Amino acid sequence: MFYAQHESSFRDNDSVILKKNNEIIRVIYDSYKEHYEAFERSGFMDELINDHKLISHIDISNEINNFENYKNIYKIIKPKYIPFISYPYEWCFSQLKQAALLTLSIQLSALQKGLTLKDASAYNVQFLDGKPIFIDTTSIEIYEEGKPWVAYKQFCQHFIAPLLLYKYGNPDLIKLLWANIEGLPLDAISKVLPFKTRFNFFVWTHIHYHAKLELKYNSSKSIKSKKIHLSKSRLEAFIQFLKSGIENIELPKSKTEWSDYYDTFSYSKDMFEQKKELVQNYLSICDSNVVLDIGCNDGAFSLIAAQYAKQVVSVDFDYLVIENLFNITQNKNITNITSLILDVSNPSPAIGWANTERLSFYNRTNYDTILALAVIHHLAIGNNVPISNIAKLFASISRYLIIEFVPKSDPQTQKLLVTKKDIFNHYTLEEFKIQFQKYFIINAFEQLKGSDRILFFMTKNETIS
Amino acid sequence: MQQLILYIDPGTGSLLLQLVIGGIVTFGLFFKNSFKKFFSLFKKKDDKI
Repeated sequence: MFYAQHESSFRDNDSVILKKNNEIIRVIYDSYKEHYEAFERSGFMDELINDHKLISHIDISNEINNFENYKNIYKIIKPKYIPFISYPYEWCFSQLKQAALLTLSIQLSALQKGLTLKDASAYNVQFLDGKPIFIDTTSIEIYEEGKPWVAYKQFCQHFIAPLLLYKYGNPDLIKLLWANIEGLPLDAISKVLPFKTRFNFFVWTHIHYHAKLELKYNSSKSIKSKKIHLSKSRLEAFIQFLKSGIENIELPKSKTEWSDYYDTFSYSKDMFEQKKELVQNYLSICDSNVVLDIGCNDGAFSLIAAQYAKQVVSVDFDYLVIENLFNITQNKNITNITSLILDVSNPSPAIGWANTERLSFYNRTNYDTILALAVIHHLAIGNNVPISNIAKLFASISRYLIIEFVPKSDPQTQKLLVTKKDIFNHYTLEEFKIQFQKYFIINAFEQLKGSDRILFFMTKNETIS
Repeated sequence: MQQLILYIDPGTGSLLLQLVIGGIVTFGLFFKNSFKKFFSLFKKKDDKI
Protein backbone atom coordinates (compact mmCIF):
# COMPACT_ATOMS: atom_id res chain seq x y z
CA MET A 1 0.00 0.00 0.00
CA PHE A 2 1.63 3.24 -1.12
CA TYR A 3 0.45 6.74 -0.41
CA ALA A 4 2.08 9.67 -2.18
CA GLN A 5 2.41 13.04 -0.53
CA HIS A 6 -0.15 15.47 -1.92
CA GLU A 7 1.64 18.14 -3.98
CA SER A 8 -0.15 21.01 -2.24
CA SER A 9 0.67 19.77 1.25
CA PHE A 10 3.96 21.16 2.46
CA ARG A 11 3.30 24.53 4.05
CA ASP A 12 1.96 23.34 7.38
CA ASN A 13 4.26 21.33 9.64
CA ASP A 14 1.45 20.03 11.84
CA SER A 15 0.16 17.54 9.33
CA VAL A 16 0.69 16.16 5.86
CA ILE A 17 -1.85 15.11 3.25
CA LEU A 18 -1.31 11.88 1.38
CA LYS A 19 -3.22 10.53 -1.57
CA LYS A 20 -3.87 7.28 -3.36
CA ASN A 21 -6.44 7.10 -6.14
CA ASN A 22 -9.68 8.34 -4.60
CA GLU A 23 -8.41 8.29 -1.04
CA ILE A 24 -7.10 11.20 0.96
CA ILE A 25 -5.24 10.67 4.23
CA ARG A 26 -4.16 13.29 6.75
CA VAL A 27 -1.21 12.31 8.93
CA ILE A 28 -1.19 14.52 12.02
CA TYR A 29 2.05 15.04 13.92
CA ASP A 30 2.70 15.27 17.66
CA SER A 31 3.20 19.04 17.31
CA TYR A 32 -0.56 19.41 16.76
CA LYS A 33 -1.66 16.97 19.48
CA GLU A 34 -2.48 19.63 22.08
CA HIS A 35 -4.55 21.60 19.56
CA TYR A 36 -6.37 18.58 18.17
CA GLU A 37 -7.32 17.45 21.68
CA ALA A 38 -8.65 20.89 22.56
CA PHE A 39 -10.58 21.05 19.27
CA GLU A 40 -12.10 17.63 19.85
CA ARG A 41 -12.74 18.01 23.61
CA SER A 42 -14.55 21.31 23.14
CA GLY A 43 -17.17 19.52 21.03
CA PHE A 44 -16.49 22.09 18.32
CA MET A 45 -15.11 19.53 15.87
CA ASP A 46 -18.28 17.42 16.03
CA GLU A 47 -20.44 20.54 15.88
CA LEU A 48 -18.74 21.73 12.67
CA ILE A 49 -18.91 18.28 11.09
CA ASN A 50 -22.59 17.85 11.98
CA ASP A 51 -23.36 21.29 10.53
CA HIS A 52 -21.55 20.27 7.30
CA LYS A 53 -19.11 23.11 7.82
CA LEU A 54 -16.04 20.90 8.22
CA ILE A 55 -15.19 17.83 6.18
CA SER A 56 -15.97 14.64 8.10
CA HIS A 57 -13.31 12.01 8.65
CA ILE A 58 -12.70 8.60 10.15
CA ASP A 59 -9.83 7.84 12.48
CA ILE A 60 -7.52 5.21 10.98
CA SER A 61 -4.66 5.56 13.47
CA ASN A 62 -4.72 1.78 13.90
CA GLU A 63 -3.25 1.51 10.40
CA ILE A 64 -0.07 3.27 11.54
CA ASN A 65 2.10 0.43 10.22
CA ASN A 66 1.35 1.55 6.68
CA PHE A 67 2.93 4.92 7.38
CA GLU A 68 6.42 3.92 8.48
CA ASN A 69 8.03 6.71 6.45
CA TYR A 70 6.45 9.29 8.72
CA LYS A 71 7.81 9.99 12.21
CA ASN A 72 6.21 11.54 15.30
CA ILE A 73 2.70 10.63 14.22
CA TYR A 74 -0.05 11.57 16.64
CA LYS A 75 -3.06 10.54 14.62
CA ILE A 76 -4.06 9.45 11.13
CA ILE A 77 -7.42 10.49 9.75
CA LYS A 78 -9.16 9.83 6.47
CA PRO A 79 -11.32 12.77 5.39
CA LYS A 80 -14.29 12.29 3.09
CA TYR A 81 -13.21 12.37 -0.54
CA ILE A 82 -14.15 15.44 -2.58
CA PRO A 83 -14.75 14.36 -6.18
CA PHE A 84 -13.96 17.67 -7.84
CA ILE A 85 -11.50 20.25 -6.56
CA SER A 86 -12.07 23.86 -7.60
CA TYR A 87 -10.09 27.00 -6.90
CA PRO A 88 -11.14 30.53 -5.89
CA TYR A 89 -10.19 32.00 -9.26
CA GLU A 90 -12.92 29.83 -10.78
CA TRP A 91 -15.66 30.79 -8.34
CA CYS A 92 -18.45 33.20 -9.05
CA PHE A 93 -19.32 36.00 -6.65
CA SER A 94 -21.76 33.97 -4.55
CA GLN A 95 -19.41 31.01 -4.26
CA LEU A 96 -16.64 33.30 -3.04
CA LYS A 97 -18.96 35.12 -0.65
CA GLN A 98 -20.30 31.89 0.84
CA ALA A 99 -16.77 30.54 1.27
CA ALA A 100 -15.74 33.81 3.00
CA LEU A 101 -18.73 33.74 5.34
CA LEU A 102 -18.11 30.08 6.16
CA THR A 103 -14.52 30.90 7.15
CA LEU A 104 -15.63 33.80 9.34
CA SER A 105 -18.46 31.91 10.99
CA ILE A 106 -15.97 29.17 11.92
CA GLN A 107 -13.56 31.79 13.29
CA LEU A 108 -16.29 33.50 15.36
CA SER A 109 -17.57 30.23 16.86
CA ALA A 110 -13.99 29.05 17.41
CA LEU A 111 -13.21 32.12 19.50
CA GLN A 112 -16.17 31.39 21.74
CA LYS A 113 -14.69 27.94 22.37
CA GLY A 114 -11.22 29.31 23.09
CA LEU A 115 -9.95 28.33 19.65
CA THR A 116 -8.93 30.21 16.50
CA LEU A 117 -8.12 29.67 12.82
CA LYS A 118 -4.39 29.81 12.16
CA ASP A 119 -4.95 30.45 8.46
CA ALA A 120 -7.77 31.69 6.25
CA SER A 121 -6.80 30.51 2.81
CA ALA A 122 -9.58 30.28 0.23
CA TYR A 123 -7.98 26.99 -0.84
CA ASN A 124 -9.14 25.59 2.52
CA VAL A 125 -12.71 25.75 1.27
CA GLN A 126 -14.15 23.40 -1.33
CA PHE A 127 -17.63 22.83 -2.71
CA LEU A 128 -19.20 19.52 -1.81
CA ASP A 129 -22.80 18.69 -2.70
CA GLY A 130 -23.25 22.27 -3.87
CA LYS A 131 -22.24 23.87 -0.58
CA PRO A 132 -18.96 25.27 0.74
CA ILE A 133 -17.10 23.13 3.23
CA PHE A 134 -13.88 23.71 5.18
CA ILE A 135 -11.36 20.98 4.42
CA ASP A 136 -8.36 21.81 6.61
CA THR A 137 -9.04 20.04 9.91
CA THR A 138 -5.69 21.12 11.36
CA SER A 139 -6.31 24.84 10.79
CA ILE A 140 -7.94 25.19 14.20
CA GLU A 141 -5.61 25.90 17.11
CA ILE A 142 -5.82 27.04 20.70
CA TYR A 143 -6.50 30.77 21.04
CA GLU A 144 -4.07 32.72 23.17
CA GLU A 145 -5.57 35.67 25.03
CA GLY A 146 -4.42 38.98 23.58
CA LYS A 147 -3.30 37.60 20.25
CA PRO A 148 -4.77 39.30 17.15
CA TRP A 149 -5.99 37.12 14.26
CA VAL A 150 -2.85 36.02 12.44
CA ALA A 151 -4.84 34.97 9.37
CA TYR A 152 -6.48 38.36 8.88
CA LYS A 153 -4.09 39.50 6.13
CA GLN A 154 -4.56 36.23 4.28
CA PHE A 155 -8.33 36.55 4.62
CA CYS A 156 -8.23 39.99 3.00
CA GLN A 157 -6.00 38.78 0.17
CA HIS A 158 -8.01 35.63 -0.54
CA PHE A 159 -11.56 36.82 0.04
CA ILE A 160 -12.17 40.54 0.55
CA ALA A 161 -10.02 41.73 -2.37
CA PRO A 162 -11.63 39.43 -4.98
CA LEU A 163 -15.14 40.13 -3.64
CA LEU A 164 -14.54 43.86 -4.03
CA LEU A 165 -13.20 43.33 -7.56
CA TYR A 166 -16.54 41.70 -8.33
CA LYS A 167 -18.51 44.48 -6.71
CA TYR A 168 -16.60 47.29 -8.38
CA GLY A 169 -16.60 45.83 -11.88
CA ASN A 170 -13.15 44.28 -12.27
CA PRO A 171 -13.88 40.55 -12.09
CA ASP A 172 -11.24 39.69 -14.69
CA LEU A 173 -8.53 40.84 -12.28
CA ILE A 174 -9.39 37.95 -9.94
CA LYS A 175 -7.22 35.90 -12.31
CA LEU A 176 -4.30 37.73 -10.65
CA LEU A 177 -4.60 34.91 -8.12
CA TRP A 178 -2.86 32.75 -10.77
CA ALA A 179 0.21 34.92 -10.36
CA ASN A 180 -0.11 35.42 -6.60
CA ILE A 181 -0.55 32.13 -4.84
CA GLU A 182 -0.49 33.90 -1.46
CA GLY A 183 -3.50 35.97 -2.47
CA LEU A 184 -4.10 39.30 -4.19
CA PRO A 185 -1.57 42.05 -3.34
CA LEU A 186 -3.47 44.65 -1.31
CA ASP A 187 -1.49 47.65 -2.54
CA ALA A 188 -2.34 46.78 -6.14
CA ILE A 189 -6.02 46.26 -5.31
CA SER A 190 -6.04 49.57 -3.43
CA LYS A 191 -4.94 51.31 -6.64
CA VAL A 192 -7.47 49.51 -8.81
CA LEU A 193 -10.59 50.16 -6.71
CA PRO A 194 -12.50 53.38 -7.47
CA PHE A 195 -11.65 56.50 -5.50
CA LYS A 196 -15.09 56.60 -3.84
CA THR A 197 -14.24 53.38 -1.96
CA ARG A 198 -11.88 55.42 0.24
CA PHE A 199 -15.00 56.85 1.85
CA ASN A 200 -16.44 53.41 2.56
CA PHE A 201 -15.28 52.46 6.07
CA PHE A 202 -15.19 48.72 5.34
CA VAL A 203 -13.18 49.03 2.12
CA TRP A 204 -10.96 51.75 3.51
CA THR A 205 -10.08 49.61 6.51
CA HIS A 206 -9.43 46.25 4.92
CA ILE A 207 -7.87 47.42 1.66
CA HIS A 208 -6.65 51.03 1.56
CA TYR A 209 -5.55 51.54 5.17
CA HIS A 210 -4.41 47.91 5.36
CA ALA A 211 -2.20 48.33 2.27
CA LYS A 212 -0.73 51.51 3.71
CA LEU A 213 0.11 49.90 7.04
CA GLU A 214 1.59 46.90 5.25
CA LEU A 215 3.95 49.10 3.26
CA LYS A 216 4.92 51.04 6.37
CA TYR A 217 5.81 48.00 8.44
CA ASN A 218 7.11 45.56 5.87
CA SER A 219 10.72 46.66 6.26
CA SER A 220 13.15 44.98 8.63
CA LYS A 221 12.39 47.58 11.32
CA SER A 222 9.22 45.79 12.24
CA ILE A 223 7.72 46.30 15.64
CA LYS A 224 7.55 42.65 16.61
CA SER A 225 9.29 43.32 19.89
CA LYS A 226 6.63 45.85 20.84
CA LYS A 227 3.53 44.68 22.50
CA ILE A 228 0.45 44.04 20.37
CA HIS A 229 -2.33 43.04 22.71
CA LEU A 230 -5.91 42.81 21.50
CA SER A 231 -8.54 41.74 23.99
CA LYS A 232 -10.83 38.90 23.01
CA SER A 233 -13.93 41.09 23.02
CA ARG A 234 -12.27 43.55 20.64
CA LEU A 235 -11.10 40.73 18.40
CA GLU A 236 -14.63 39.34 18.31
CA ALA A 237 -16.02 42.78 17.48
CA PHE A 238 -13.44 43.05 14.71
CA ILE A 239 -14.38 39.66 13.20
CA GLN A 240 -18.06 40.59 13.48
CA PHE A 241 -17.27 43.82 11.62
CA LEU A 242 -15.62 41.75 8.88
CA LYS A 243 -18.58 39.40 8.71
CA SER A 244 -21.31 42.02 8.50
CA GLY A 245 -19.25 43.94 5.92
CA ILE A 246 -19.03 40.86 3.71
CA GLU A 247 -22.72 40.12 4.17
CA ASN A 248 -23.40 43.58 2.75
CA ILE A 249 -21.26 43.17 -0.37
CA GLU A 250 -23.53 42.53 -3.34
CA LEU A 251 -23.03 42.47 -7.07
CA PRO A 252 -24.36 45.68 -8.69
CA LYS A 253 -28.11 45.23 -9.30
CA SER A 254 -27.86 45.89 -13.03
CA LYS A 255 -25.47 42.97 -13.34
CA THR A 256 -27.63 40.38 -11.71
CA GLU A 257 -30.69 40.87 -13.87
CA TRP A 258 -31.02 38.06 -16.35
CA SER A 259 -30.94 39.69 -19.74
CA ASP A 260 -30.28 38.86 -23.36
CA TYR A 261 -27.74 36.14 -23.04
CA TYR A 262 -26.01 35.09 -26.18
CA ASP A 263 -27.28 31.93 -27.75
CA THR A 264 -30.14 31.19 -25.40
CA PHE A 265 -32.79 33.06 -27.30
CA SER A 266 -31.55 32.32 -30.75
CA TYR A 267 -33.32 28.98 -30.49
CA SER A 268 -36.82 28.46 -31.60
CA LYS A 269 -38.87 26.61 -29.01
CA ASP A 270 -39.20 23.58 -31.27
CA MET A 271 -35.48 23.39 -31.80
CA PHE A 272 -34.82 23.72 -28.10
CA GLU A 273 -37.22 20.90 -27.25
CA GLN A 274 -35.74 18.69 -29.97
CA LYS A 275 -32.22 19.40 -28.75
CA LYS A 276 -33.20 18.62 -25.17
CA GLU A 277 -34.72 15.31 -26.18
CA LEU A 278 -31.70 14.31 -28.26
CA VAL A 279 -29.25 15.24 -25.52
CA GLN A 280 -31.32 13.27 -23.05
CA ASN A 281 -31.27 10.21 -25.33
CA TYR A 282 -27.53 10.38 -25.88
CA LEU A 283 -26.77 10.94 -22.19
CA SER A 284 -28.88 7.94 -21.23
CA ILE A 285 -26.60 5.77 -23.39
CA CYS A 286 -23.34 7.24 -22.01
CA ASP A 287 -23.61 6.02 -18.41
CA SER A 288 -21.33 8.82 -17.22
CA ASN A 289 -19.66 9.30 -13.95
CA VAL A 290 -18.57 12.86 -14.73
CA VAL A 291 -19.94 15.11 -17.47
CA LEU A 292 -18.18 18.31 -18.52
CA ASP A 293 -20.56 20.93 -19.95
CA ILE A 294 -18.45 23.39 -21.92
CA GLY A 295 -20.03 26.81 -22.42
CA CYS A 296 -22.93 25.82 -20.18
CA ASN A 297 -24.70 29.17 -20.59
CA ASP A 298 -27.95 29.15 -18.58
CA GLY A 299 -27.30 25.56 -17.53
CA ALA A 300 -30.37 24.07 -19.20
CA PHE A 301 -28.33 21.10 -20.41
CA SER A 302 -26.29 20.80 -17.21
CA LEU A 303 -29.56 20.33 -15.36
CA ILE A 304 -30.46 17.51 -17.75
CA ALA A 305 -26.99 15.96 -17.45
CA ALA A 306 -27.32 16.04 -13.66
CA GLN A 307 -30.10 13.47 -13.96
CA TYR A 308 -27.88 11.04 -15.87
CA ALA A 309 -24.43 11.51 -14.33
CA LYS A 310 -23.06 11.35 -10.79
CA GLN A 311 -21.28 14.64 -11.25
CA VAL A 312 -21.55 17.52 -13.70
CA VAL A 313 -18.87 20.16 -14.07
CA SER A 314 -20.38 23.16 -15.86
CA VAL A 315 -18.06 25.83 -17.16
CA ASP A 316 -18.51 29.15 -18.90
CA PHE A 317 -16.24 32.15 -19.28
CA ASP A 318 -19.04 34.54 -18.32
CA TYR A 319 -19.09 35.09 -14.57
CA LEU A 320 -22.74 36.19 -14.58
CA VAL A 321 -23.78 32.95 -16.27
CA ILE A 322 -22.04 30.96 -13.54
CA GLU A 323 -23.52 33.21 -10.86
CA ASN A 324 -26.97 32.47 -12.24
CA LEU A 325 -26.40 28.72 -12.54
CA PHE A 326 -24.92 28.48 -9.03
CA ASN A 327 -27.98 30.25 -7.62
CA ILE A 328 -30.32 27.96 -9.56
CA THR A 329 -28.60 24.81 -8.26
CA GLN A 330 -28.72 26.11 -4.70
CA ASN A 331 -32.37 27.14 -4.92
CA LYS A 332 -33.38 23.83 -6.47
CA ASN A 333 -31.11 21.94 -4.11
CA ILE A 334 -29.27 20.22 -6.94
CA THR A 335 -26.13 18.85 -5.37
CA ASN A 336 -24.20 17.28 -8.23
CA ILE A 337 -23.47 20.30 -10.41
CA THR A 338 -20.22 22.19 -9.89
CA SER A 339 -20.43 25.46 -11.81
CA LEU A 340 -17.17 27.27 -12.51
CA ILE A 341 -15.89 30.28 -14.41
CA LEU A 342 -13.56 28.94 -17.04
CA ASP A 343 -12.50 30.12 -20.46
CA VAL A 344 -11.88 26.97 -22.48
CA SER A 345 -9.55 28.90 -24.76
CA ASN A 346 -7.41 29.73 -21.71
CA PRO A 347 -8.27 27.36 -18.84
CA SER A 348 -6.83 27.54 -15.32
CA PRO A 349 -3.13 26.68 -15.40
CA ALA A 350 -1.11 24.63 -12.94
CA ILE A 351 0.37 27.03 -10.39
CA GLY A 352 2.51 27.14 -7.29
CA TRP A 353 5.60 25.19 -6.35
CA ALA A 354 6.87 22.95 -9.17
CA ASN A 355 3.63 23.77 -11.01
CA THR A 356 1.95 21.07 -8.98
CA GLU A 357 0.52 22.88 -5.97
CA ARG A 358 -2.74 23.81 -7.70
CA LEU A 359 -3.67 21.65 -10.64
CA SER A 360 -4.52 22.78 -14.12
CA PHE A 361 -8.17 22.41 -15.00
CA TYR A 362 -7.83 19.31 -17.17
CA ASN A 363 -5.58 17.54 -14.69
CA ARG A 364 -8.10 17.34 -11.89
CA THR A 365 -10.45 14.61 -12.96
CA ASN A 366 -11.35 12.26 -15.77
CA TYR A 367 -14.47 13.02 -17.72
CA ASP A 368 -16.69 10.45 -19.36
CA THR A 369 -18.76 12.77 -21.49
CA ILE A 370 -18.31 16.24 -22.92
CA LEU A 371 -21.27 18.41 -23.79
CA ALA A 372 -20.17 21.05 -26.28
CA LEU A 373 -23.40 22.69 -27.36
CA ALA A 374 -23.37 25.91 -29.35
CA VAL A 375 -19.73 26.42 -28.51
CA ILE A 376 -17.57 25.27 -31.42
CA HIS A 377 -18.05 28.51 -33.40
CA HIS A 378 -16.86 30.50 -30.40
CA LEU A 379 -13.69 28.40 -30.25
CA ALA A 380 -13.01 28.05 -33.97
CA ILE A 381 -14.02 31.52 -35.12
CA GLY A 382 -14.11 33.58 -31.93
CA ASN A 383 -10.71 32.27 -30.79
CA ASN A 384 -9.15 31.11 -34.09
CA VAL A 385 -8.63 27.55 -32.79
CA PRO A 386 -8.43 25.08 -35.72
CA ILE A 387 -11.08 22.33 -35.66
CA SER A 388 -8.30 19.72 -35.57
CA ASN A 389 -7.05 21.14 -32.25
CA ILE A 390 -10.54 21.11 -30.77
CA ALA A 391 -11.06 17.47 -31.79
CA LYS A 392 -7.68 16.51 -30.34
CA LEU A 393 -8.38 18.21 -27.00
CA PHE A 394 -11.82 16.69 -26.57
CA ALA A 395 -10.47 13.24 -27.44
CA SER A 396 -7.75 13.62 -24.83
CA ILE A 397 -10.17 14.21 -21.97
CA SER A 398 -13.31 12.21 -22.66
CA ARG A 399 -14.86 9.01 -24.03
CA TYR A 400 -18.17 10.39 -25.28
CA LEU A 401 -18.86 13.64 -27.01
CA ILE A 402 -22.16 15.38 -27.65
CA ILE A 403 -21.33 18.29 -29.91
CA GLU A 404 -23.34 20.78 -31.90
CA PHE A 405 -21.89 21.95 -35.17
CA VAL A 406 -22.86 25.56 -35.83
CA PRO A 407 -22.13 26.36 -39.48
CA LYS A 408 -20.83 29.61 -40.85
CA SER A 409 -24.27 30.48 -42.23
CA ASP A 410 -25.78 30.52 -38.71
CA PRO A 411 -26.72 34.01 -37.47
CA GLN A 412 -24.67 33.47 -34.29
CA THR A 413 -21.56 32.63 -36.29
CA GLN A 414 -22.21 35.59 -38.57
CA LYS A 415 -22.27 37.83 -35.49
CA LEU A 416 -18.75 36.67 -34.63
CA LEU A 417 -17.63 37.54 -38.16
CA VAL A 418 -18.93 41.11 -38.08
CA THR A 419 -15.69 42.45 -36.60
CA LYS A 420 -13.39 39.78 -38.01
CA LYS A 421 -11.92 39.02 -41.37
CA ASP A 422 -13.24 35.71 -42.59
CA ILE A 423 -10.05 33.65 -42.76
CA PHE A 424 -11.91 30.50 -41.78
CA ASN A 425 -12.12 28.67 -45.09
CA HIS A 426 -11.70 25.36 -43.29
CA TYR A 427 -14.66 25.92 -41.00
CA THR A 428 -17.02 23.57 -42.85
CA LEU A 429 -19.13 20.56 -41.98
CA GLU A 430 -16.88 18.33 -44.10
CA GLU A 431 -13.74 19.46 -42.32
CA PHE A 432 -15.50 19.08 -38.97
CA LYS A 433 -16.37 15.45 -39.77
CA ILE A 434 -12.89 14.64 -41.10
CA GLN A 435 -11.13 16.08 -38.06
CA PHE A 436 -13.40 14.57 -35.41
CA GLN A 437 -13.42 11.17 -37.12
CA LYS A 438 -9.67 11.06 -36.62
CA TYR A 439 -10.45 10.38 -32.95
CA PHE A 440 -14.15 9.58 -32.69
CA ILE A 441 -16.78 7.32 -34.22
CA ILE A 442 -19.99 9.15 -35.06
CA ASN A 443 -22.84 7.20 -33.48
CA ALA A 444 -25.66 9.51 -34.45
CA PHE A 445 -26.36 12.97 -35.81
CA GLU A 446 -29.43 15.03 -36.45
CA GLN A 447 -30.15 18.41 -37.93
CA LEU A 448 -31.80 20.82 -35.51
CA LYS A 449 -35.19 22.14 -36.57
CA GLY A 450 -35.28 25.52 -38.29
CA SER A 451 -31.50 25.77 -38.57
CA ASP A 452 -28.44 24.37 -40.31
CA ARG A 453 -27.03 23.23 -37.00
CA ILE A 454 -26.29 19.53 -36.53
CA LEU A 455 -26.07 17.71 -33.24
CA PHE A 456 -23.53 14.87 -33.18
CA PHE A 457 -23.12 12.02 -30.73
CA MET A 458 -19.68 10.45 -30.87
CA THR A 459 -17.68 7.80 -29.04
CA LYS A 460 -13.92 7.84 -28.87
CA ASN A 461 -12.31 5.40 -31.24
CA GLU A 462 -10.21 3.40 -28.78
CA THR A 463 -8.27 1.72 -31.57
CA ILE A 464 -6.56 5.05 -32.20
CA SER A 465 -4.14 6.05 -29.50
CA MET B 1 3.89 40.13 22.53
CA GLN B 2 5.29 36.66 22.82
CA GLN B 3 7.27 35.44 19.83
CA LEU B 4 4.76 34.23 17.27
CA ILE B 5 5.72 30.96 15.61
CA LEU B 6 3.64 30.81 12.49
CA TYR B 7 3.74 29.27 9.10
CA ILE B 8 2.06 32.18 7.39
CA ASP B 9 3.19 35.78 7.54
CA PRO B 10 0.64 37.61 9.65
CA GLY B 11 2.02 41.01 8.58
CA THR B 12 2.91 43.49 11.30
CA GLY B 13 0.69 46.13 9.70
CA SER B 14 -2.21 43.68 9.63
CA LEU B 15 -1.84 42.98 13.35
CA LEU B 16 -1.62 46.67 14.20
CA LEU B 17 -4.68 47.39 12.12
CA GLN B 18 -6.72 45.01 14.25
CA LEU B 19 -5.66 46.97 17.34
CA VAL B 20 -6.75 50.30 15.86
CA ILE B 21 -9.95 49.16 14.14
CA GLY B 22 -10.81 46.61 16.85
CA GLY B 23 -10.96 49.52 19.29
CA ILE B 24 -13.04 51.69 16.98
CA VAL B 25 -15.63 49.02 16.17
CA THR B 26 -15.90 47.98 19.82
CA PHE B 27 -16.80 51.57 20.76
CA GLY B 28 -19.09 51.72 17.74
CA LEU B 29 -20.87 48.58 18.92
CA PHE B 30 -21.09 49.97 22.46
CA PHE B 31 -22.82 53.13 21.25
CA LYS B 32 -25.05 51.18 18.87
CA ASN B 33 -26.18 48.89 21.67
CA SER B 34 -26.64 51.83 24.05
CA PHE B 35 -28.86 53.58 21.51
CA LYS B 36 -30.85 50.40 21.01
CA LYS B 37 -31.33 50.03 24.77
CA PHE B 38 -32.25 53.69 25.09
CA PHE B 39 -34.91 53.46 22.38
CA SER B 40 -36.21 50.11 23.57
CA LEU B 41 -36.99 51.81 26.92
CA PHE B 42 -39.36 54.14 25.08
CA LYS B 43 -40.87 51.27 23.14
CA LYS B 44 -41.73 49.40 26.32
CA LYS B 45 -43.39 52.49 27.72
CA ASP B 46 -45.39 52.86 24.50
CA ASP B 47 -46.51 49.26 24.77
CA LYS B 48 -47.78 49.81 28.30
CA ILE B 49 -49.83 52.81 27.24
